[in-house]
Amino acid sequence: MFAYYFKLGLRNLRRNPALTALMVLILAVGVAASVSTLAILHVMSGDPIPGKSERLFVPFVDNGQPDGYVSGAAPDDMQMTYPDALNLLRKHPAERATAMFATGMAVEPPRTDIPAFQAYGLAPTRAFFAMFDVPFLHGQPWTADDEARGANVVILNRTVAEKLFGDANPVGQRLIMQRQPFTVVGVLGDWNPMPRYYKLIGSGPATGEEFMIPMATAVRMELTPYGSVNCSQVRDPGYASLLASECTWIQFWFETRAAGERADLHAFLENYVGEQRKLGRLKRPVAPALYNVMEWMEVRKVVGNDTRLSAWLAFGFLILCLVNTVGLLLAKFSARASEVGIRRALGASRREIFQQFLIETGVIGLAGGVLGLLLAFGALALIGMQSRSMAAMARMDWEMLGLTFVISICAALVAGLLPTWRACQVTPAMQLKSQ
Amino acid sequence: MEIRPILSALLRNKTGPLLVAMQVALSLAILANALHIVNERREVAARPSGLQDEAATFYFSVRNLNQDTPEQMLATIRRELDVLRAVPGVASVAQVSQMPMSQSGGTTSIAADRRQQRESGYASTYFTGDSLVKTLGLKLLEGRDFHPQEIPEVNEQTNAEVPTLVIVTRPLADKLWPGAPAVGKTLYFGTGSSAPGAQVIGVVEDLISAHAERGETGIFSMIMPARQYGNGGAMYAIRSEPGQRERVMQEAEQALRKSSATPMILRIKTVEDDRKDRYRADSALSWMLVTVSALLLLITCSGIVGMATLWVNQRRKQIGVRRALGARKLDILRYFIVENVMITSAGVLGGVLLGVGLNALLVARLEMSRLPLAYLVGGAVVFWAIGILSAYGPAWRAAGISPALATRST
Repeated sequence: MFAYYFKLGLRNLRRNPALTALMVLILAVGVAASVSTLAILHVMSGDPIPGKSERLFVPFVDNGQPDGYVSGAAPDDMQMTYPDALNLLRKHPAERATAMFATGMAVEPPRTDIPAFQAYGLAPTRAFFAMFDVPFLHGQPWTADDEARGANVVILNRTVAEKLFGDANPVGQRLIMQRQPFTVVGVLGDWNPMPRYYKLIGSGPATGEEFMIPMATAVRMELTPYGSVNCSQVRDPGYASLLASECTWIQFWFETRAAGERADLHAFLENYVGEQRKLGRLKRPVAPALYNVMEWMEVRKVVGNDTRLSAWLAFGFLILCLVNTVGLLLAKFSARASEVGIRRALGASRREIFQQFLIETGVIGLAGGVLGLLLAFGALALIGMQSRSMAAMARMDWEMLGLTFVISICAALVAGLLPTWRACQVTPAMQLKSQ
Repeated sequence: MEIRPILSALLRNKTGPLLVAMQVALSLAILANALHIVNERREVAARPSGLQDEAATFYFSVRNLNQDTPEQMLATIRRELDVLRAVPGVASVAQVSQMPMSQSGGTTSIAADRRQQRESGYASTYFTGDSLVKTLGLKLLEGRDFHPQEIPEVNEQTNAEVPTLVIVTRPLADKLWPGAPAVGKTLYFGTGSSAPGAQVIGVVEDLISAHAERGETGIFSMIMPARQYGNGGAMYAIRSEPGQRERVMQEAEQALRKSSATPMILRIKTVEDDRKDRYRADSALSWMLVTVSALLLLITCSGIVGMATLWVNQRRKQIGVRRALGARKLDILRYFIVENVMITSAGVLGGVLLGVGLNALLVARLEMSRLPLAYLVGGAVVFWAIGILSAYGPAWRAAGISPALATRST
């Protein structure tokens, strides 16, 4: 019976074409608005590293000034000082740990036809690559020995590698960066997580990290941090004073073997803060904290209020479209009272009438879903034209594709309940008499 | 007026009118809030930057790769300034540490008195080695600009000297010293007994901050004298003669590249582009909200028209009877219009309540601001007008129904 009613529903789309087209269009617009905003929300708030997000932790240690501190106030900054980062890297109970800062370097290509350019990248420690499952197209991370020596080794991203060396494998090639010779040890595969969860404080190149060098090398070369450097006291000029200062500019991650080791890590961190307090540091009465990936994204407000607002209003709009569709369906079905009367007189039960009309509504929902999907793709393309980083956010995956149809059909069915119920109330005798 | 009979007719068949009223309520609630947010964003973007000719202003970030000693870097900056000044069509050039709306630059805490418990606010810090007032064309309201001999040479690698003179914007001066002249006062960088101070020598009307933040920090800026060098690069703000920006940009770039024998990294950006980038998210949100609002109105309109048409069709016979009993066309028209106004009024009432509720939710959860009542009043008027206009067509057709219909059977 379902197949038959479905076919009937398809055929009935042509009945009252103007009204039906209006219904499908309104449903499609409502679905497109909510799905396109939802798609962005989905990309922004999705788990960027499934299976591992429970085991990666950002430690937070408040080293702000104690005077004028109001209990419960937001911290000045959530980054880390260089000495703290070194201490935690040296001694920690976790599986892995990494510290990093963003920086930029002047690149002088070996090819003379390309002028020198500024590249924007990251200076992490070696564990970074294993911790964040970074894929390599060629080569591999630098060695522990390179890291210890602060060697001039660099990992390029694919775009920069192809710009400098063409399609050939550049591992082992040399290039001049910041007036010093560097050796290429690897090329990143396609890796540009959006949102940039591994470094949520400060922005970065929309096309992904263009290069990565060991943090020790960046520090040795005194590369300027390209991100916020938060100092609560005036510090002396020069790089050495930055390294020694209480300024926060390093971002730090731990990886544990299991999510359950969080308590141990937390205890270690508390112990560390206690030790530092004895040395006269970290005077604010704030307990240290650990955040896993999803918590950290929440703390850093990755999903902005504007995105939420768009999604809320889009859903309000969808509800309006639904109410409108209820009205239109009432009009469409009320014109078919005589048909219902005849079917009822011939023995159809109310239940069967209900099924038929609900399936017909579902067909309208399906049509609205198809059109809505097209509109949503258009809307996302428009949003993506805003900027490169929006283009990375404004995309649709299979989940969202399926959700489009679910939303659309559910919306139509909900809208169809009242009109269908009304259609079932037709008394056959009254209808037949009035004919 | 025949309000009672219309009302009792409405109450006998509630579903349709209820649906229309709900649509009006939802639309009004969303529309008022959306337009309020759009307007707020527009206002932020419409703040004056203080620049005399934004369309003619651009800047270079230059980094010469052959710079080994700080002295060499200082010499390069002087040479590059000379090269840029010599380009025909350049009205003014100034070395500067950051640009308005570029979303990259420094902010520092400031206080009118260093004994204050808390700082008075945060201000954007512009350092210039030349006359930023002249180059950006800022309007000097009080006091004067820096004299060339007052601008120290500051090696950023070794020198932590804090400037002793400062020019502030009008809003910042009003915040620190309300109602008193600012020139001659001392502004402190932070609080506490060790906080350094600088003497205010001038007040400019406006200069938007580097980050152009939404609140007061966005219009709190200060200009301080310093020829900064030693960090390997420099930034130059340039104002061309009106309308000549594109040509001047090209020629200045060529001149700069030609002036150096060693490779250099050069980034050029116009203030117009920076403005666009800064307000991109705001304008994207505004467009989205405006689009949704337009669709909202359209859908609500079509809903009213559709329902009114349906009712007219359902009541053709009654209309015929009324006409046969002596009702004029005007009476029929009035009946439908009054009926619609009643439904719309119910919707508007619901919409005002819903709009206030939605706004309360947005304030509590999404840090939006309170909705001024004017938006709800304006929205109510719009929906009444839309209701009457939408109902007019079907009502007019109803009025045209012939009395003879009453005598015919269906």
